[in-house]
Amino acid sequence: MAEFNLKIVSPDGIFYDGTARQLSLRSIDGDVAVMAGHIPYLTAVGIGECRVYAEEGSEPRLAACCGGLLNVTKEGVFLAPTTFEWAEDIDRERAKAAKEKALSRIENPKSDAAKQLAEIKLRRAELRIAIAEKISGK
Amino acid sequence: MKEINLRIKSISGTRQITKAMELVAVSKLSKARERIDRIRPFYTELYSALSDISAAVSPLDTGFCDKREIKKTCVIAIAGDRGLAGGYNNNLFKYVAASTEGKSVSVLPIGKRSLEHFERRGYEIISDDFVSVEDVDVGDCYEISRLLCRMYLDDEFDELKVIYTNFVSMLGQEPAELRLLPLDKELLSDGTEPAFTLVEPGTGAVFNSIIPDVVAGLVWGAVCESFASELAARRTAMESATSNADDIIDDLRLKYNKARKSSITQQITEIVSGAQAE
Repeated sequence: MAEFNLKIVSPDGIFYDGTARQLSLRSIDGDVAVMAGHIPYLTAVGIGECRVYAEEGSEPRLAACCGGLLNVTKEGVFLAPTTFEWAEDIDRERAKAAKEKALSRIENPKSDAAKQLAEIKLRRAELRIAIAEKISGK
Repeated sequence: MKEINLRIKSISGTRQITKAMELVAVSKLSKARERIDRIRPFYTELYSALSDISAAVSPLDTGFCDKREIKKTCVIAIAGDRGLAGGYNNNLFKYVAASTEGKSVSVLPIGKRSLEHFERRGYEIISDDFVSVEDVDVGDCYEISRLLCRMYLDDEFDELKVIYTNFVSMLGQEPAELRLLPLDKELLSDGTEPAFTLVEPGTGAVFNSIIPDVVAGLVWGAVCESFASELAARRTAMESATSNADDIIDDLRLKYNKARKSSITQQITEIVSGAQAE
């Protein structure tokens, strides 16, 4: 199967720089998958699971991916998420603590904006927990 | 002689301080440089992606790209928390002054020195929540970005710039500016016909979601660059202060020894002449 250049860079560093066969992730509008030869494409990344299929026949690598942008050009695919964590790097204790904190903030919100922010944080934390459990369950 | 001795002591004290500051700067600098190495690919890629995007997408039904008459500029000025870093803070303030001359400006200062400087000169300060450069993290940059993007869309200013110090090398740091908003199409595109790009679900929705993230990423990059520059500038300044102190101490020691020698010679002469007289 055809391959394309994929680069995943977040403020925490470079996570992926090489060729891949397929990239799946959740945009603000729903799940998308990118394969080689995709039309130039731009979208905003939502909060969801990201899968990178690197080699033929191998299992995809899972990651929690939130926010930022996905830009597909003729030269390759550029993913710049706000936060990106490979499933194996997720600190489950920290994610659980973040979930508790977000829940308590939602119950006693300081303002509407703070509540919205806490809801987003809660979704992120839940996603991280879900993805970490997915690989440990295998 | 006593005076010289006192001065030697006081200068050795100063030397110890400058030496300690140099060492602290060196150790923090290595961490800051690691951080730059991690973040640089992110914001350079981000910036080039942004250029591609703004060139390719048209017309833009989002508030971030429309042409406005620039009546008011907002500047994010990133300076240090402390002085004693050579010309680091002053160079930045001079650059801000030159770049905003004759314009109506509001400032979001990052760094204690920056806040003090602009407050004293009566600039309009947007927020003083982010005073310490050392403690600003990615989350704060997102907060800054959300705040400023909202203000921009509410027409509170017409242009957003970040003025920071670029970490060129250990010995050279240059103040620089980056215009974040509005996205300038002519500035970004290189004149070639833009390729068609599919934007889903729509340019408005995508841009409104992406731009605050991109601005935050670029601000964070500027913070990292500035912080490393501050430490490098401090290291250089403290190194030269330490070597200066060494020179002065050497000089004073020489003077002290000469004075001591001549006083001993005089005493011997007095004893000898006293003995001869008997």
